[in-house]
Order: sequence, then C-alpha cells, then structure tokens
Amino acid sequence: MDPMEVFKVEIAGEEFGAKKYREIIMDILQDLGLIRSIGRLYVYVDVKKPVFAVYGLLRTGIPPLLVRDVADVAQAQGGFQIKVNDEEHMSDLLKVLWAKYGRERVEQPSRDVVVVATDTSPSDLPVADLEAEFRQDLTDALLRIAPEGFRNRRNEMTDKSFFFIAAEDTLKSELISEVKEKIRSMENA
Amino acid sequence: MLEPVMFTGGVYKHDLVMELVEDLGGYVLQKNVTQSEVILLLLVPKEDMEALKAIISDLRGELVRAPLAGTEVAVVTPTLAIHHLPHTACDIAEYLRRNGAKSNMIGLARGVGRETAQINEYESMLIDEHDAVVFIFGNFVECIRKKEFLYRNINIPVVVTGGPEIPKEELPYAFEYVPSVGRITHRAKKATELGTLDKIIESVGRALDRTRTDISKDPLTTSPPRVMDAVREQVPEVEYSFSPLPIALNLNGVRIKLPYDKHKDAVRAVKFDEGVTLGEVATIRPSKMKDYILVRILPMSETGFVF
Repeated sequence: MDPMEVFKVEIAGEEFGAKKYREIIMDILQDLGLIRSIGRLYVYVDVKKPVFAVYGLLRTGIPPLLVRDVADVAQAQGGFQIKVNDEEHMSDLLKVLWAKYGRERVEQPSRDVVVVATDTSPSDLPVADLEAEFRQDLTDALLRIAPEGFRNRRNEMTDKSFFFIAAEDTLKSELISEVKEKIRSMENA
Repeated sequence: MLEPVMFTGGVYKHDLVMELVEDLGGYVLQKNVTQSEVILLLLVPKEDMEALKAIISDLRGELVRAPLAGTEVAVVTPTLAIHHLPHTACDIAEYLRRNGAKSNMIGLARGVGRETAQINEYESMLIDEHDAVVFIFGNFVECIRKKEFLYRNINIPVVVTGGPEIPKEELPYAFEYVPSVGRITHRAKKATELGTLDKIIESVGRALDRTRTDISKDPLTTSPPRVMDAVREQVPEVEYSFSPLPIALNLNGVRIKLPYDKHKDAVRAVKFDEGVTLGEVATIRPSKMKDYILVRILPMSETGFVF
C-alpha cells in the first residue's frame, strides 16, 4: 500500500517503464526514510525528448531538534550538565555548544556527558535543523531516481512543494513550462 | 570429454581431491580458500566422475555442475554509478560466478543517456577479449532499441537484459534478449527475480555453446586448460601474481596475469611434451586488461596439427 495520498507516474508509450519507475521511486524514498514526508507525487517522463520531471507536495512542519529533545539537562556545579541519550546527536550538539559558548567553556568528562560553564540553561538550543536535513535527503533521492544520463537538472523547492526536472539537452524555459503544464493536467485529472 | 564441476568443502584433505583430479587427467582451474572452506573449479573426465564423487562424499563435500567453468564473461553497465550498481549488475555477476564463469564487471565511460551514450574502441576491444557479454539496460523500450549501437561492433555473443518484453527480431545484433531485469533498486530475492537470473545464465550458456560449436568446426591446436597447466609449471612467477586467478581461461586461450614486457618471452618459450613451444601454436600479445599477457591458441587450419 502506498503511504502517499496520490502517486501518479506518466510515461507515454512505456507502461512497463511506468510500473517499474513506481517501484524504483518507492524503494529509494523508503531507503532514505522520506516516504512519510511526501503527500502527493507526480512523475512525468517523456522518453523521446528525453525529459524527466517530478513534482511533489510536502507534509511539512518538522520542528527543529532541541537540546532537551536529545539529552537530559541538569544544573551542576558551575554550570549545566548535559547527558546525551542518543549518541547520534553528540557531534551536532558539541558543534552547537562550541559555537554558542566557546570551546574553553565546554567540557566532555565522559563519552555521553557534556558540562557547560554557563548561567543560562542550554536546553532550548536547536541541535539540528531536521527540515534542512530532509531537503538535503530529498535532493539526494531525486538525483538517484532520475535516469543517470540526465545531467541538466533544475530543482525548485518551496516550503510546501518541490519541482525537479532533468534532461539530456539544455533546459529551455519553453520545455520547463510545457512540463509544468503536463503535471498540472495530471493534478487535475 | 571433460566435465566442468565445482567442489565445495572443508580445507581438510581437499588436496586429495586435487590429486585425484590430476591423476584422472583433469584440471584444477581455480582454487579459492575462504577461512575453513575451499571452493575448487575442476574439469574432470566424464567417465571418471564416479571416482571423484566417491572421495567427495567421504570428505562430506559437495559437487555441483558448473556449466560456465573455464569461461570469462563480461557484465557491462552504462556506468559504475549508483543508478546501475550494486543490485542488478552485482547479482548477475555473482550468479555467473556461482555457475563457474569468471565474471568481470565493466562500466562504460560514457554509456549513459539516450542521445549521449557512446562506447569507445578500447572498451569494445576489452569486451571482445571475453567469451560472452551481458549488457544491462534499463526499463524503457525506446532506450533499449536505440542503444543497440553500443554492442553492434562487439564480436562475441551479446546477451542483452532489460525490463520490458521486446521481440528478439527487434534486436538483431543481440544473441538473446532476457526481459524483466531492468533497473532494480533492491537485491534479487523473490523467486521470479531468481528465475530471471537463471534465464540469463541459460542464455549465456547457449551463447558459449554456440562459440564451442564454432570452435569445433576448426579445432584449436591444443586446449586452454593444457596451456594453463604448462604455463603454471614452466613460468613459476605466475604463482606470485597477486590476482586471485593468475591464469584466466577463455574458450580459445588464456589470460596470464603477469606484466607483458617482462614475461612474454618466458610464456612464448613454454614447451609441451610433443616438442612444440607455445609461441608456435598460439599468438601472444598484450591484453587490453592492465598489462597482462593474452594467449590465443591458433586453430588446426593454421598450424596443421592438433595435440
């Protein structure tokens, strides 16, 4: 079952290709853990031109990850002690703390504990911008999905949607608007 | 008639198997030791197979037929990028290996795109050094038809794989076309996917059989395994080659993995019991693969004798 509300693939004269591309896209989005963040997806391919385009609507609203989400913060002598629960975030956390307080005020006495010499609690500092990471992963996924020879690419990303187009020839504005028109008609169909 | 088989078993006493094969007049093509297990690719006289089976059952080993043993098959993808690897290409290469072939993966430098794909002379000559080649294409009928020019100048049988069903007549330059492969982003594990891999193996097997039939019309002066044995005996440097398979067998010769300039004379001077040297019954030239030595055995029509 597709977790997406709408997932359409249109490839003129290539039914098998359309079916297979559906599988490829699902595989890649699942591999990168992106499938739940995409609401609708429209894929348009014209093999004769050749051009490959993806338009998607995003399920946005991922809040940034704060220090208190990844660690327990407690007041200690001369500052605050941060005990990280998920070690995956340790490097990001250290980077944020160094940038905010300076290296001389951040100490790491053991593998999962950081002590910061400060008066204000660091619990509300953002550790990672998940939204930005998601965008990075999404771009990576689109590059993997697009057929390899399609070296001329353009990616338009907004808060709510993305439009990716790739072709072998130069991307002309007429081609882009033509493809956008096709995708619009897929949306309205 | 020598039968290609693969022995899998423990390292303990596996030398008994090797000794028996040599005593029977067969050949050990390849020996792979992986920790406590050993895999041997063997050519054994058909009539003596029972003797071998008896000793192998004593050793609790396994003996299976390896129809592609003693051949080298190229697996060609448009490039070596993430779009084509690892799944399809590696699955096919591994399956060929399990059936005894030596498979080499080749990624073309500029094989991608519908309009921009190309193959250069070096690449086609490198592919021609193999016994058969599997070309892996994608999911679009239009592209598979159009990219035929990539293998039009290849002289060995070309097995083409791709996603959609295409009648064979539409691909006249391909030896056979195997559908339902295409671009896959997961490992082949379903029964249908494994069935497709089997079909590729069968197709490669038929391609090799055709080459064998062609060769039998004008037989080679001597057989490649015999050349391999003689080179192994008389050019001891081969044992110090770092390649897992220092002498790779082809249907019409061998590739010796030693630097050409340094060892060509030693290879040319390899002498057989009949009194002829390898230089007299084969052409010895630099291989397109690294700086290896390529030996191509001359047919009877050129040398006038067979031994």
